[in-house]
Amino acid sequence: MTNSNREIFLDKIATKAGRPRHQLKNHPFVPINDLPESTLAGKSQDELLELAQKNSEAVHVTFEKTNRSSLSALLNDFLSAKDINNLILPTCDKWTTFGLSDWENKLVDSAEFWAPESSRTENLAKANAADGAIGFADYLLAESGTITVATTPGQGRGFHFLPTHYLSIIPKSHILSRSRQAMRKYEAAITSGRLTTSNINFITGPSNSGDIEMVLVVGVHGPLDMTYVVVEDL
Amino acid sequence: MTISTSDKPFLTRVKESENDHFMQQSVAKAQDAQWDKRTAAREELGNWEQWRDLGEQIRQHVIKYLPDYLEQFSDNVEKKGGHVFFAQTDEQAVNYIKKIAKEKKAHRIVKSKSMVTTEINLDKALLSLPETSIMETDLAEFILQEDNWDEPTHIVFPTLHKNRDQIQNVFKKLGYSGSNDPEEMAKFARKYLREYFMQADLGITGCNFAIADNGMINLVTNEGNADLTMAIPKTQIVVMGMERIVPSLKEAEVLDNMLSRSAVGQKLTSYCSFSGPQVNGESDGPTDFHVVILDNGRSNALGTDFEPVLQCIRCGACLNVCPIYRHIGGHGYGSIYPGPIGAVLSPVLDGYEKFGDLPFASSLCAACTETCPVRIPLHQLLIKHRKVMMDKLKMDHSFNNVLMKGAGVATSSPILFKIALEGAHMGSAPLSKSKETSVDNLFNYGHIEKAPSIASGWTDVRDLARPPKHSDDFRSWYKKHKKEQQEGVSHD
Ligand code: SF4
Repeated sequence: MTNSNREIFLDKIATKAGRPRHQLKNHPFVPINDLPESTLAGKSQDELLELAQKNSEAVHVTFEKTNRSSLSALLNDFLSAKDINNLILPTCDKWTTFGLSDWENKLVDSAEFWAPESSRTENLAKANAADGAIGFADYLLAESGTITVATTPGQGRGFHFLPTHYLSIIPKSHILSRSRQAMRKYEAAITSGRLTTSNINFITGPSNSGDIEMVLVVGVHGPLDMTYVVVEDL
Repeated sequence: MTISTSDKPFLTRVKESENDHFMQQSVAKAQDAQWDKRTAAREELGNWEQWRDLGEQIRQHVIKYLPDYLEQFSDNVEKKGGHVFFAQTDEQAVNYIKKIAKEKKAHRIVKSKSMVTTEINLDKALLSLPETSIMETDLAEFILQEDNWDEPTHIVFPTLHKNRDQIQNVFKKLGYSGSNDPEEMAKFARKYLREYFMQADLGITGCNFAIADNGMINLVTNEGNADLTMAIPKTQIVVMGMERIVPSLKEAEVLDNMLSRSAVGQKLTSYCSFSGPQVNGESDGPTDFHVVILDNGRSNALGTDFEPVLQCIRCGACLNVCPIYRHIGGHGYGSIYPGPIGAVLSPVLDGYEKFGDLPFASSLCAACTETCPVRIPLHQLLIKHRKVMMDKLKMDHSFNNVLMKGAGVATSSPILFKIALEGAHMGSAPLSKSKETSVDNLFNYGHIEKAPSIASGWTDVRDLARPPKHSDDFRSWYKKHKKEQQEGVSHD
């Protein structure tokens, strides 16, 4: 059934528009200006960090800066401050990258993991039961206070939306100026085959709604609050 | 075609809206708040006019090569294992979606906010399936559903016309026993909807932009319900207007920024997601992924002067600056697409017979055109609609009737007439006139030489007072209204 109707549909709209089909290859899109690239260009990583903090806090994010040696203590503080009893963690090799292998190992029996070998139902049930999640972001966008995450087998879609409290760890070197820079990196990773994913999320603070009398309510379907932890790695 | 939200005549709807003081206050409050937020967000970005140039260019380019981009997109969806159905009509779209729901034996359907599914009346069609329940999961749409499927009043803030007490009463029917505090009510909705979500077997979403070169769809939201809709059910059906397409992730990213700033004054909304069918190794997300691409009257605009209406990214900014919308709200328009964009789009989709009044529900102040992030010349398209109606009906030998209709719409409602008089001078520079405006050109402002004069039909039979000179521009008018509102001055 797929596309049996496609040609009729496309021919019809081409006729209505009075423009023949299959002209695009000779007229690819060439942007009229380079604003997406040039806006906020040329900032140092320290400047981006400062901007990221300002813009993250403006969207109700708790913003922390730390280094590898202090990271595990900061995570423990988060768990006790939020009174988290059902924690979910991703399955990935970043624990080692951030020097958290020991910390993670200690939690193996008490925390749940989003596990590649678990079924859809199991992983979603674990995330839904979790009152806290600690995960890893790919990038942090300074302009908007946005973390970006591509879905992986060890850190699925529901991981970011079902738990009540959410903490994301980002290396300082992965702070980018804007969404354009992140898009370029994702496009390159997908094209080269380094990244296979069905889904990329740009997440800017906790979920919110103004649907009741335009009063801002923070925390609707997604996490009620967000913490970003930027780890010095430069 | 079900974009119509009322069987009542336009002027009856306007009259009802005039009496809905809570709605008027809410709209005014929303417009004022959004004005400040939107302006600040655009100023902070900088070079807003050049961003508009880029936004317009992207949208014009994809409309120009629409069949090619749709072909590329559908090829890429299929490469990922998804399915694409091209629906020329609402009926074809609904039948396809019902067929999938039946095949999948879907019993619990979750939906995230989508104007296009409202346009095709999908909820009602799916509810006709045996043992099937459906849940709108966007907080506003959930409220409307539980309030006996009340109609939305704004394309971004659908429940603008409801107050917290009304919403509390709606929730009481679901077992809510808390206060009318928005936060407490939102928490109740979260819990209520989460239980439903976890059992859902079919998810239906709209689509802000389809990415032609990789087959992903892009959704821009604030609550997180759309992402749960794309994560939990095994099957996802995306319903999109055929014009909602961009070349690549890069252009999606540009438009997401412009949409977020224009719609809600945010740099980016809480969730901008780029998504497709599950890939190997992942455990959630749809294993069965369908995209329904809908024409349903959109192609009426192609190759005509109305083609720019297809550039729309549904940010709602034109509603948020419109003096007519401020007074009559969404329900006054009688279309699920209200405000200036609705007044242009509704007749394109569903004809003049149903929506021929709407192009007259405008002061032609051009505030909509000025704010549109993708530079749709909205007020000029409204004039064009009037001209087309004139020409068409002139040939039908019923010219005088339509003249009277146009003048009638404006003059039968004190509010519309008042706004029209004030708005006649509110236009931006290219439309401004040095001499006093007469009612003769109120509705053809700036194009008087070309467009037939509607109001001449009126003045043929009756003297009409020359409107007072009104030298304020739109912003002066807006500031004055805001100030008066703060001081509690009643306007009507
Ligand atoms: S017409 Fe322009 S301002 Fe109005 S909703 Fe569409 S994009 Fe936004």
